Amino acid sequence: MRASQSVREQQPVNMAGVGFRRWAQLLSERKGSGIPALFPGARAAAGLAKDGLPGSFPKTPEEKAAAAKKYNMRVEDYEPYPDNGEGFGDYPKLPDKSQQERDPWYQWDHPDLRRNWGEPMHWDFDMYIRNRVDTTPSPVQWSSACKQLFGFIGGALFLLYLGELFPSYHPVGPKQYPYNNLYLEKGGDPEKQPEEEVKNYEI
Amino acid sequence: MADYKEAPLMSRPKTLDANEYFNLSTEKRRAEEERAALRANLKRQYQLQLNNPLRKELVEDPALTRWVYARANPLPHFRPTFKTSLMGALGGVLPLFVLYYIFKTDRNKKERMIKDGTLDRTFSMTY
Repeated sequence: MRASQSVREQQPVNMAGVGFRRWAQLLSERKGSGIPALFPGARAAAGLAKDGLPGSFPKTPEEKAAAAKKYNMRVEDYEPYPDNGEGFGDYPKLPDKSQQERDPWYQWDHPDLRRNWGEPMHWDFDMYIRNRVDTTPSPVQWSSACKQLFGFIGGALFLLYLGELFPSYHPVGPKQYPYNNLYLEKGGDPEKQPEEEVKNYEI
Repeated sequence: MADYKEAPLMSRPKTLDANEYFNLSTEKRRAEEERAALRANLKRQYQLQLNNPLRKELVEDPALTRWVYARANPLPHFRPTFKTSLMGALGGVLPLFVLYYIFKTDRNKKERMIKDGTLDRTFSMTY
């Protein structure tokens, strides 16, 4: 029992996978003290050595080869971002293609991301997931699509403008009122007969 | 489709890509084989860890760790050049002053109107 537990302590234990009981057991056997002792193995890069992390821009061919090996790429394929102080370091410059472009029928390790385990990730990977930016080719040529859309919108706007310049309505005349053009309602004298019968029609 | 021009920021359809049909020299094939070898090695590592019956923890992906680390730590590789200083000035310093000026003049105008009694406060809820 003792031997197996000490062997377990030496391996980096991922806290998400280990139950609370085991954590308590580990705690009781551990010799450290303070907050770092509460989370054994929770280092910045548990399982990955310091030189497995991204470093600074590679200047010599040996550094380039070492960086390519670190990122699991061929030396000929590995191309770092240009060294202009924008903070990329030796991270590889991968082609700007979205994940939607990858083969949907291949057996990826992570099918929703269309990515295999250990494959170098694009700097903008979170932008190129299938829910977001898509670089797949458009079904119609871009110039043709632009012409169709803006041609339609432009034509419609032009016709509307012409309609504003040359409006046309149904023919209307002034409103006609009964009872001698509302003689009594407009305050005319009830005793007096109006001068002439108002006729608003023609037969 | 010989005159197909791809859209900016979009790729060419694979069926129209000349590389598929004309680049079959031995060097290209050797390169593809090397890439396939690397891929197969990674697949093997992953499958061994995934199907290990004695495994109790998550399979950790070093490529993901490297990506997260690279995105979170650009500062050690930062160098003030003309371009980076310009981006910092345009994106950080200029909006500060411009927005202050815009908001202050707008507020001053509103205050002036309130003092003169010309502001329409019919539907104002915070009055």
